Amino acid sequence: MLALALVLTLTPGAGSSPGWRPGLVVLRTALLTAAPFWVFLLVLHDVTTTVAIGLRITTMVASFVWLVAALEPARLVEAMVAAGWSASLAYLFGATLSAVPVLKARAQRIVEAQRARGLSARGGIAARLRALRALALPLVLSALHEVDERALALETRGLVPGIRRTPLAPPPDTPVERAARWALLLACLFALFRRVM
Amino acid sequence: MRSLTLEGVSFWYPATDSPALRNVSLHVARGEIVALVGALGAGASTLLLVAADLAPRVTGGRLTGSAARHDRSGIVLPTPWTQASGMAFSVWDEVAFGPANLGWPTHEIARQVDRAIEQLELAPLASRDPVTLSGGELQRVIIAAILAMDPGLVLLDEPAAELDSDGARTLWRLIRRLAKDGKAVLLATSTLDALPEVADRVVWLEDGAIRAVGPPDLLADVAACDAGLGTSVATVWRTSGLPGPYPLTVAHALRRWR
Amino acid sequence: MSIRLLALIPVAAAISLALSAAVDAVALPLFLDTTGTILATALAGPGVGIATGVVTSAVNTLRNPTFWPFVVVQIIVALYAWVAARAGLFRSFRTAVPAGLGLGVIASLTSTPISYFVFGCTTTGGIALTTALGRALGLPPVGACFFGSFVSDFGDKAVTFALVTSVLRALPRRTAARFPWALRAIGAA
Repeated sequence: MLALALVLTLTPGAGSSPGWRPGLVVLRTALLTAAPFWVFLLVLHDVTTTVAIGLRITTMVASFVWLVAALEPARLVEAMVAAGWSASLAYLFGATLSAVPVLKARAQRIVEAQRARGLSARGGIAARLRALRALALPLVLSALHEVDERALALETRGLVPGIRRTPLAPPPDTPVERAARWALLLACLFALFRRVM
Repeated sequence: MRSLTLEGVSFWYPATDSPALRNVSLHVARGEIVALVGALGAGASTLLLVAADLAPRVTGGRLTGSAARHDRSGIVLPTPWTQASGMAFSVWDEVAFGPANLGWPTHEIARQVDRAIEQLELAPLASRDPVTLSGGELQRVIIAAILAMDPGLVLLDEPAAELDSDGARTLWRLIRRLAKDGKAVLLATSTLDALPEVADRVVWLEDGAIRAVGPPDLLADVAACDAGLGTSVATVWRTSGLPGPYPLTVAHALRRWR
Repeated sequence: MSIRLLALIPVAAAISLALSAAVDAVALPLFLDTTGTILATALAGPGVGIATGVVTSAVNTLRNPTFWPFVVVQIIVALYAWVAARAGLFRSFRTAVPAGLGLGVIASLTSTPISYFVFGCTTTGGIALTTALGRALGLPPVGACFFGSFVSDFGDKAVTFALVTSVLRALPRRTAARFPWALRAIGAA
């Protein structure tokens, strides 16, 4: 059953991505991500358990690698709005995705500035904890300070609870795709039911 | 026709005892450009938030006096990256974020967004991802994003801070054109040298209260120069010990010199 | 939900994600991936904290798909932090650090079954290694798995609690007053 799911997951989609190349890239990424799990499974368990759990993890990894490969964030946000999800919910994901690189870059600048001032992360645990505090405190405080301006900007740009936002060029959603999604969900529930019973 | 009327407005931020604004009365008419000047913390940003109906509604705090807005307002805040929606993955979509939230039909959104992109000269960047832009480019995107919502009252907090001199010149020209189209503009800036060409009136804020209101000539006033609020020409004139009244611009100085 | 709390959630989630990436710079074996969840809970209550935890897990999942089942841990962390904030444990390091150690125990109790049944205890490199060490010390599989999670979580949650306490203490009163629970968490109201 799991092996079948794995094969299905690694088969490239017929319509959206033509040819086998994207499928091979996904396969390679998924196997590379899953490889360390297999190594640790072999260390910690016997062969039967390793194969059972290993296939499960590989399936899970592969399906997410597929998702990330096929997913365009812009299309996801617009599709969520078009499907009637709240614009605020779409905002939570979009804003987090775009805030992470900004904060990472800021953390990098803080680390560099502190190295220039001679604050070293070498030495005992206490010295490292002090270095961590010196990095984290300005990062977190500056980010919290910006929450206010973010809220003001959202309000002035009309993202208030309960709005009816116009979807901008949402991806097409055909009845066949909708039916396929329900069918997959039912298949999952059926598999879960078989497993539990 | 008035766009904004403030009568005796005082405002306190949450958990503070001294007011950020003290008894401020100000009106801005459609087609008029009013500039707020003053030291850091003098209250210009707070005044803009009150004008935008964000203080105290979103900031919290307490307001006394009356604030009446006769048009829908749009405010551009000082730091561009906190104003990016995070939900747009191209400049065009970023500018369209506000209009889409207003629930406008798609063709109206496209018309307003294309116009705002043209006004801010953003066409070459329209398909770029906003996270790849420089501070100045993002600042222009945010200004376009506010203008695309077609506000009658345009509020700008340090709009030129992130811009280079070319970008700033384009912005000041655009602000004049907005006023000509009948929009009311209230802006806070420390780029004082631009104001004689741009502003109809200058409001000098000190410690939350209005110290003086007048034409841009105010920026060559002896008291204003003493407070560090003179134009470059007036300030140089004053520091070189030349007699008053100080000239406001290079053109004035040349006339005085001859 | 007010617009400010809506704006807080992605910022708090991004704090967790950026810190867990930046912690390598100080060479400490910590995750810090619940910092934002705990902070958001202390500032704005359990609803905002749980939302922050779920968003953090969801975005983390895009990077490493095996993280998703641990969303349960983020939710438990938010609830625990809420109790700790109500009890005023963030007001000093002397109460925050033991509270963090307690969370370490609870978090590893939560993550052990997920880690054991879903992944055979191989979730992340560090935990897998300590689990192998536990096996070498003669612990049974589940015990070794708990040992692995516990060693990683224990210090991490104590440091995270101490960090959140530092942030709350350094937060200007004017900023704190804008979040519904912050003043109570720092003992100023």
